Amino acid sequence: MTRKNEADAYWSIFGYLASGLLFWGGVGYFASRFFDKPYLTLIGLLLGVTGAIYLIWLRFGRQ
Amino acid sequence: MINLHFSGEGFVPPSTNDFNLPPIFENIPWLTKPVLLVFLSVIVVSVFFVLSARKAAVVPSKLQFAGEGIYAFVRNDLARDVIGHDFMRFVPYLFTLFTFVLTNNLFGIVPFLQFPAMSHVGFPYVLALFSFFIFHYVGIRKQGLGKYLKDIAFMPGVPKAVYILLTPIEVATFFLVRPLTLSLRLFANMFAGHLLLLVFIMGGDYMVHDSHMIMKIFAPFSFTFGIVLTFFEFMVQCLQAYIFTLLTALYIAGALADEH
Repeated sequence: MTRKNEADAYWSIFGYLASGLLFWGGVGYFASRFFDKPYLTLIGLLLGVTGAIYLIWLRFGRQ
Repeated sequence: MINLHFSGEGFVPPSTNDFNLPPIFENIPWLTKPVLLVFLSVIVVSVFFVLSARKAAVVPSKLQFAGEGIYAFVRNDLARDVIGHDFMRFVPYLFTLFTFVLTNNLFGIVPFLQFPAMSHVGFPYVLALFSFFIFHYVGIRKQGLGKYLKDIAFMPGVPKAVYILLTPIEVATFFLVRPLTLSLRLFANMFAGHLLLLVFIMGGDYMVHDSHMIMKIFAPFSFTFGIVLTFFEFMVQCLQAYIFTLLTALYIAGALADEH
């Protein structure tokens, strides 16, 4: 049972990180294209990772 | 040593082109080897389990023992332990999924068949879509559309302003990343495994036929490594079938749970 929970946790963490980077990185990328400010992509990616890590903590670190 | 003279046209390493197999009959373009193997796997799985369940006895035959062993594994270790209460509803799907994926993966190392159909990304996509619709469907049926979506999108215990940051990530995880990782993990493992075997077996074959003596001497090492990797592939193939089914069960369990 614990091993299955671990597998769940690994893939959930991976999923959160991937979707955080994809979504907010994507938003940042289009913002950087639109406003012609390249650093906005970086800000988007950092925002995505921050959100993802916060979600992971909420889900697995709170108990 | 540096100026090794190679005869012939040089080694052509295996590439993605080795996965694009020609149609078996000239005039039926869709009937390729992977398609045929998928049909074969359905027949193999059906025949195996019909035979193992027929003449079921209290003292099981070897065949019945094997069939019941696989069934018990999926029912107890995957469905019951993960989904818990009311798990029997999902056993048929999980069992079909596990045996279908496992058989198709194992075809990758069965002599003469030797091609994992799941290394064509279309097959895992369809399987992941099934799992995707099933776990969302049972979640919506159990909790109602509004509550289900609210549970996905809004993690409890967070200040309201933070939802702007978190909600898109959660929604993307549930509706995009989950089905994608489910299918791509299976696809990539089968694809890479098949490519790895091709490299060593084809490489060994090339080295044997090379006129240079050094190449002939080292050819057996390439073949040996190919055999070692075949055993490794066997492990990966079983593991990937297990992981695919396990994650599907976990997603169903998550959709049924009142709070995730």
